[in-house]
This record gives sequence, structure tokens and C-alpha cells, in this order.
Amino acid sequence: MARNFLQDELLPAFVDNLAAFGELHGPKLTDDGVTVFGRVVTHAELRLDYRSTLLPPKKYLLPPRETTLAYSPESGYRQPAATEKNIILLGVHPCDLAGIAYLDRVFMYDAADHLYSRRREALTLIGLSCEPDDFCFCGDVNADLPVGFDIFIQRADDGFCLDTGSDKGAAIIAGLSRLFMERERPPSRMRNCSPIKDAIQRAVKTQETFEGSPLWDDFAARCLSCGACSLCCPTCYCFDVREYGNLDGATAERIREWDNCLFKAHGEVAGGHNFRKSRQERFRYRFQHKYLGFGPTRGRTSCVGCGRCREVCPVGIDMLELFRLKVEGKAG
Amino acid sequence: MMKDGKTIPIMAEIAEVRSLSGDTSLFRLRFEEEENFHFLPGQFVQLSVPSGGEVPISIAGGPSDDRSLELCARRVGHVTTMLHSMGRGEKVGVRGPFGNGFPVGEMKGKDILLLAGGLGIAPLRSLLHYILAYREDYAAVTLMYGSREPDAILFREELAELSCRRDMRLLLTVDFLTDGPPGELACNVGLLPSLLKGFDLRPADTTAAVCGPPALYRCLTSELEALGIPDRSILLSLERRMKCGVGLCSHCAVGDLFCCTDGPVFRFSDIRGIEGAL
Repeated sequence: MARNFLQDELLPAFVDNLAAFGELHGPKLTDDGVTVFGRVVTHAELRLDYRSTLLPPKKYLLPPRETTLAYSPESGYRQPAATEKNIILLGVHPCDLAGIAYLDRVFMYDAADHLYSRRREALTLIGLSCEPDDFCFCGDVNADLPVGFDIFIQRADDGFCLDTGSDKGAAIIAGLSRLFMERERPPSRMRNCSPIKDAIQRAVKTQETFEGSPLWDDFAARCLSCGACSLCCPTCYCFDVREYGNLDGATAERIREWDNCLFKAHGEVAGGHNFRKSRQERFRYRFQHKYLGFGPTRGRTSCVGCGRCREVCPVGIDMLELFRLKVEGKAG
Repeated sequence: MMKDGKTIPIMAEIAEVRSLSGDTSLFRLRFEEEENFHFLPGQFVQLSVPSGGEVPISIAGGPSDDRSLELCARRVGHVTTMLHSMGRGEKVGVRGPFGNGFPVGEMKGKDILLLAGGLGIAPLRSLLHYILAYREDYAAVTLMYGSREPDAILFREELAELSCRRDMRLLLTVDFLTDGPPGELACNVGLLPSLLKGFDLRPADTTAAVCGPPALYRCLTSELEALGIPDRSILLSLERRMKCGVGLCSHCAVGDLFCCTDGPVFRFSDIRGIEGAL
């Protein structure tokens, strides 16, 4: 039996009551027709049957651009004082939950990042089950089971089944217990897995770099270096650091902003030498980071199978083809 | 407020600027507060020039017990151009030290062969100072240093002093001669690997440390292996543009290793199979 079943007609009450625990954010449609995670004032704005958002929820933890330090001649470099407002992010699909779990590992384990940690602590994640679309493949990269949520909502025929994953989530459920009833748990659906799953797992295990694959040349010939694939990736977190002097001629602001391994400057060093001059090299760098991992994430795939990169690429590049070609090669 | 020197730069005053060549100077920094800055040769710092930004720079000085730090910087980009316009008494920021540094403990008892090309002398100067400070721990010590032309030889006065020492050997070379004054340094003409020709060494007991421009690594590693030095005893200090220094920003990966946290000093045996490492 599931203890926390929310009937469809009580969903609005549930959503509107969440505001008591923080500022509510969730999937909604913008005026120009794009589904995004954003501030939701009433339940009517929410699109819980959404397929995917253009940008993943990483923007809540790693804003596209943020001030990391402020400089003044009197006090040197200082971290900006700020308090984070509590945000309840509702409707996060398992792939995006997995993306946040990966970022947590990068930014909160080895070298705990102060700014990330502060935002993460103020963020409450309410996950939501989803239906696979034409682009996603979370089952193939083991990202189909929800992780790292405070509450997870499983869609059922006439309502939602709620599970808690943390004390924070349990406190919210307890506070709204009057909305829930007991009900048989709906069977959880199996994700669609393709033969690619084995190929991906094997590649990660053997640190396969597909060195001789003809696809690298093919990708490089088509790629526009637009960087859309990494912009919309739930786990791409490369950042650039810049500093700008203020007009007073004395103080300055240091920022970090999303960077992109497909950009030419990513592998440059002082004097102009570039360790990843060609698009081919930059693609391989991206593959290495996505599927094989660097440093502390070595051996850990960061792809969560959301499918955004395959969907947004203007020239239809799909890195899964590397694995597919391998599978077909074996079969043939 | 967190003040660990890794996330937030510690302010330091430029105590001395020594011009080493037309575009390269040695900056001696003095920390404003009572910071004890402990580092190993081969480690680097992130140097901040207020309003300009931050750049990774190898530590060029040896182990010191005071509060100063020596950095050798060429005027080559935005931040280093601003740095070169600064003088004594002006303030910069320092984060670090970062990276692994040279395995000075493991190198004990070995013949030490230092191979520097151009600005690559900076981290090897730090290593040399360390080794000379603990001279009895090491066997034969040799510094081979190649510059483009006589005017580009850095640390000329120091080199003149080193050439008089009896407990180490110094071999210099320039790629080509110019009309400028040859100076007092005895100097070979030819590329750095040419100094290895006919050089008498004990390959199994030698540790080589190399730092220089990318092309140098490719030719020197094969020369050193041809002389019989095992690839795990060839140490390469690599250059990448680290933005964070702590393994986050992901600009400096070499294969699946980060130059900032796993390096910048790598054994040739660990990176020889990695595409794009050198």
C-alpha cells in the first residue's frame, strides 16, 4: 500500500500549499511557446504533463553567470554575502534528478564549492515520473530510477503516489497529510532499454575512446561549434572565469560563467597554443567527459539520457551513434 | 568568511620586479599577512591582478622560510600585460599552491637531469634551488637550458654563478646567434636535444625533469628514452590554462587526468598513450 496518494482533484491544493515551504518553481510554458523551469505563482501555470524543458534544472545550482568574488583595494577579494531563498522545484524528471545528483558529486564532494553548496541546501527537489519521448534514453545509462529527491511523485491513473527521500521531504508530506489517502501503489513501468545499453556500459568499463571510429570525422565535418549540446546538458558544468574592473577604477568583480568544450578557446593556453585546435579533438574531449569522466569522476558516465542534445543539435549529431555503430559492427 | 587561500586570493605586495628579458620578469611577492606559504617545487599558483583576472603561474623560487614568493611571468596575454605594468608596492592576489609538484622525496639518491626550454626554466629553477638546498640528498645534478637566442636567456647572473659551482653541471644552448652581445656565458648553438649528444649519464639512476614549449616534449622524450632513461623516470611539467585550480572548471584535462590536481608534473609513462597530452 502507498500511504501518500494524492487524488487529481487535490493537486491544486497540494501545489498551492507548497508555497509555504519556499518559492515554487516548476515546468511551465513561456509566452513564446517554450517549456522551461521557472517561477510558478499558481497551480494553473504548471505543466506537469510536460515532455522536456529546453534547459535542465542545473541553472538553479549553476547560474549561467554569477559573481564569485568582489575586489576592493581596502579589503582585497571577498566572497559576496548573500542568502539564498528556499526554492521548491516541482516536476523534475528522473533524468534531471540524476543530473543534479552528478553535479552534487562534482561540486560538493572533493572540492566543496561554496556557492553551489549554498544553493543546493536551499533547493527542495520534487521529482515526477515521466513518459519516454523520441529522444530520451535514460534506461540505457541507468538514470531511469529516481535519485536524490526530497519527494518523488509517481503518476497514477486518477492521481499521484508520493514517496519521500529526505527529512525535508518527509516534513512537507507530514505538513500536508490532510490531502493524502491510502491507495494501492501503481505498478512502476520499465524503461525502454535498447541494445545500446550494453555497448555504453562496456565502453565505460573499458574506458573505450573509439579512437579509430570514422564518426569523429563525420561529426567534426558537420559540427557548427554552436555549443547547444552542452548548454542544454543537465551535467555539463565547465565554466570560464573572468574579471571586470568597475568604472571607479579601483574595485572589480570576478564572475564565472558557463563555458563550452566545443568552443575553440576551451583548450587554449597563454601565447595562443591550442591543445584542442580541431573540432574532432574537441568532440573527443566532450565524449571523454560525458561518458568516461575526468579526475574524481573517472569511470562515471555523466550522460543521463535526457536526449536534449540529440534534439537541439542543428545538424543532427547524435553521439549515441558511436555505440550504435559498434553494436551494428558486432552484429554484422 | 572562508579564507583558505584556495578559493579566495590572499593579497600580496610586489616587493621586487627584476627584468629578465625584453618580455619576461621575475616578480617577488610578499604576503601582507603572516601567511606561511608552503609549497613544493613544480606547484603553481593562480595569480590575480585586480580588474584583470587570474592566470596560473609556476612558482619559480626555491623553498623559503619567509613570506615571499617568486613568479616568473612573460608578457603574453591580458593579465600578464597588466602585471608587467605594475611595480613595487602594488597589490596582487594569490591562490594556491596547487598541483602535485615534483616528487622530490622519490628523486633522492638519483642523478638529476633538468631540461628547460625558454620560460620552462621557471619551475625547474624552483626544483634546482630545492635540490641545491638539500644537495647531499641527490647524486649528480645537471641543468640543460635552451633559449631561442642569447637575449632570451633568463636569469643570466644566476646562471653565471651556477656555472662556477663544482657540485653541478650547467649546459646552455641557443637556437641561433644574433648580433647582440654574447655575454659571458659559455653557450652552445643548437636545439636543446643537441646537448644530450655524447652526454655521459647513468640512465637507470637518472631522473629527468622537463619543462618547455609543447614541441620540446615530443622530441626530448624520445631522445631521453633512446639514452635508456625509463619512461617513469621522465617527469614532464605540462602547461594548461587552469581556470579554477581545484579540478572543477574542466579546461585542463589530459586524458582522464586533470593537470591542476593530478599534475602539472606527470610521468611520461602515465601520459605517453594519451592523445593530445604533449
